[in-house]
Amino acid sequence: MLDWTIVVPSFLAAAVEWVEAFTIVLAVSLSIGWRASIGAAVTALATLAVMTAATGGVLGLGLDIRWLQLAVGIFLLLFGVRWLAKAIARGAGLKPLHDEAQEFALTRAQLARGDWIASWLIAFKGVLFEGLEVGLVVAAFGLHGGAWASSATGALAALFVVVVVGLVVRAPLRRVPENAIKFTVGTMITAFGTFWTLEAVGGAAAWPWGDWSLLGLATFYALGGLALMALLHTRRTAGAVP
Amino acid sequence: MSAFLKTLFGDASTVSVVAIVMATEVLLIANGQVALAAFAVPPLVLAGVAWLAAR
Repeated sequence: MLDWTIVVPSFLAAAVEWVEAFTIVLAVSLSIGWRASIGAAVTALATLAVMTAATGGVLGLGLDIRWLQLAVGIFLLLFGVRWLAKAIARGAGLKPLHDEAQEFALTRAQLARGDWIASWLIAFKGVLFEGLEVGLVVAAFGLHGGAWASSATGALAALFVVVVVGLVVRAPLRRVPENAIKFTVGTMITAFGTFWTLEAVGGAAAWPWGDWSLLGLATFYALGGLALMALLHTRRTAGAVP
Repeated sequence: MSAFLKTLFGDASTVSVVAIVMATEVLLIANGQVALAAFAVPPLVLAGVAWLAAR
């Protein structure tokens, strides 16, 4: 039985990374062909599978659950605050929106100067680094009540959807509203990270409404993030006027 | 290697924000302020996010 409170955030978090990885593989395929670029991607995915299994194995060795919760919570906070801050900065206009088409063109330009091995390595590293974040998310959400199947299902479903949509659309995924996804995922991951770290440090009594506090945290970060975005946008606009 | 570490942990600013959040959690709990922690930590996290976004 899948736990949808794990599948959905795992799916969303993984989708953001798979979109970036697919864009790189697509660009590389134009230089060294689909077979070689898919070979690089599959090699990277196999490496990731081993790393994810190792991570899960280490985390499941029977260590004190509070220490595991603390370690995973810190990881989630590290990811969450980074993603949320980036999404807010982009939404406020402080940083350019992540442009998949620009990344696509940049990768092609790099490939024009390199050779076959360099191209293969670009695809391999792209999938490995983006997928590494997915692997950590799978391990993190999998710890929640031992929901490994739900967590892995969410990430694999995201991979399937991104590949299918990418192949159908062909153009470098310009229509995927990455910043909106990143903001949503950032709020959810930050909420989970806050909840788990404080529960690990202070015990179950630290959250007066138990698991319902998660919903409150996600709402607080979402509304707070939107308010910050508006505030930073206003400050930037005011600063631009002489 | 540095790219790998940055992927895992983020940059120094991100690590600093999370370190401050964790230190605050530990201090509040160690001083018996369990009830206060649930209301103090989320605004602190959001303040850290605001600082990271505005840099």
